Amino acid sequence: MKVKKYMNPYLGGALLGIVLVIAFWVSGRGLGASGAAKSAIVAGVKTIAPSHVENTAYYKDYVASHPKPLKSWLVFEMLGVVVGGFLSGAISGRLKFQVEKSPKITNKTRITFAVLGGILFGFGSQLGRGCTSGSALTGMAVLSVGGFITMASIFATAFALAYFARKLWI
Amino acid sequence: MGPLIVNEIISENANMLFAFLIGIGFGYILEANGFSSSRRLAGMFYGYDTTVLKVFFTAAVVGALGLLFLSLFGQIDLNFIYINPTYLYSAIGGGVIMGAGFILGGYCPGTSFCAASIGKIDAMAFIGGIFIGILVFTEGFPLWEEFYNAKFLGAPVLNEVIGTSRGVLTLGIILVALAMFWVGEWAEKKFARDDYTINQK
Amino acid sequence: MKGKARLLLAAIIIPLGLIIAAVPENTTKQYKLTPEQMLEEVNGGTQFIHPDEVANMLIQKDPTLQLIDVRSADEYEKFSLPNSINIPLVDILNPQWSDYINQDLKLNVFYSNGTNDANQAWMITRQLGYQNNYVLQGGVNYWAETIMNPEAPAEGSPNEEIIKYNLRKGAGMALGGEAVNAAPATVSKSAKPPITKRKKKKAVQGGC
Repeated sequence: MKVKKYMNPYLGGALLGIVLVIAFWVSGRGLGASGAAKSAIVAGVKTIAPSHVENTAYYKDYVASHPKPLKSWLVFEMLGVVVGGFLSGAISGRLKFQVEKSPKITNKTRITFAVLGGILFGFGSQLGRGCTSGSALTGMAVLSVGGFITMASIFATAFALAYFARKLWI
Repeated sequence: MGPLIVNEIISENANMLFAFLIGIGFGYILEANGFSSSRRLAGMFYGYDTTVLKVFFTAAVVGALGLLFLSLFGQIDLNFIYINPTYLYSAIGGGVIMGAGFILGGYCPGTSFCAASIGKIDAMAFIGGIFIGILVFTEGFPLWEEFYNAKFLGAPVLNEVIGTSRGVLTLGIILVALAMFWVGEWAEKKFARDDYTINQK
Repeated sequence: MKGKARLLLAAIIIPLGLIIAAVPENTTKQYKLTPEQMLEEVNGGTQFIHPDEVANMLIQKDPTLQLIDVRSADEYEKFSLPNSINIPLVDILNPQWSDYINQDLKLNVFYSNGTNDANQAWMITRQLGYQNNYVLQGGVNYWAETIMNPEAPAEGSPNEEIIKYNLRKGAGMALGGEAVNAAPATVSKSAKPPITKRKKKKAVQGGC
């Protein structure tokens, strides 16, 4: 199957904006991602080490406000993201197990940096109360000051570090 | 009318179903725009592919316009939508850390799940990293609790801070976004790479 | 192609942006009830409070009770219930009263001569989403009948009737009705109507 072209970015952006508006209209909230991972973490810790949850203030507060961590809007939304991504990939012939990287680095390097980036992003998203979708995109749509600040910090830092990380990508 | 959940037009469980459906739309659009490709995402920072900028800002502008028009026609009560609170230090600190994660890992959380769904192994590694990162945050929470809660500013919206209406600010963002798109397309020509094709309509 | 798409996008969003920048923001609060829901509430009569309950609260000097006379100022001057304030119906949306009618501490009871005007006041506040507003059942007319000039029950009436009569007569006396030499009012404690707190709308939780 021939790999199809990607959507026009402006059309894609407009559609994404419409999805965002639907989310607000139905549920009064925007899109997000990292919150789902946090719910999964808390649910996991709760299952594996219930006493640890009892003894740690952070988990305790979280469980108190979210009695069923996995029954959260973001968890269902992220399940949808996986399904939606798979559908699009299947239609366009992009389903393939692969490591995507610059031709100049090895798979091992790429995976190592992917994990490192994930750790930073996971940590940063908790500290910044939301990731690119939850804080920056949604925050900007509702004109939240926090959304603009987070967005600016993410992109400024990435631009500032781009030179040092160039071997990974170009 | 909206938000439906606040006005109790739909039930909590229906809300979860809608979350799933909205997620499908979100994931589909991300993938169809190539957000499942880390080199495409990273391309934004080297100028060879600025799709992220275009999609991201078009979505934010359309989202802002959509909310304002729905409100104008009385279809949504903007008092009941969630506006994320602003904690100045952690917003900046978190953003800086996320920016570093972005350039090293090539994904953000939403796009990594999307990329993993079509079989990107690096995205799965990135997701593993996210879980570790969150676990570090939750386990060590007392260490950064103070920083996390410092400089709480409430949930301000930018137009109130600069003293204008939502509509005027949105118009301003539209103009800035279009200017950035123009720069982005210029950059794509200037920094085009032999080993990378943008491949989009 | 891409350049064209950008121009197309600009051609769509710039005019929309200009429109949204030019129009005033829609700050009106949404009506919270559909007509069907409203009809159901009106039919159910949940807004009514019986004069007995109001009299009882007055005697006990219940601080949560706030009687609101929605008749004209003239009528209010001539006769009003104890401790009531006057907010004529035509004036009900005046911002100076919003602290009185939009709150969730006190139990507001609107009254008029009959129930029409009070009901209208209640419907307006209900649609605005205000809480704890009620209507005096039967209005001033019924109040006069039941509390001020209670009709003595016939000989051999059931006990409750007699108790009710004594209570009303006592209340009437205490509240300035005609003095009748009746048994002292034994006010039952349970008659206090609960302040029903309607579930407050919670803003949606977010977080990424």
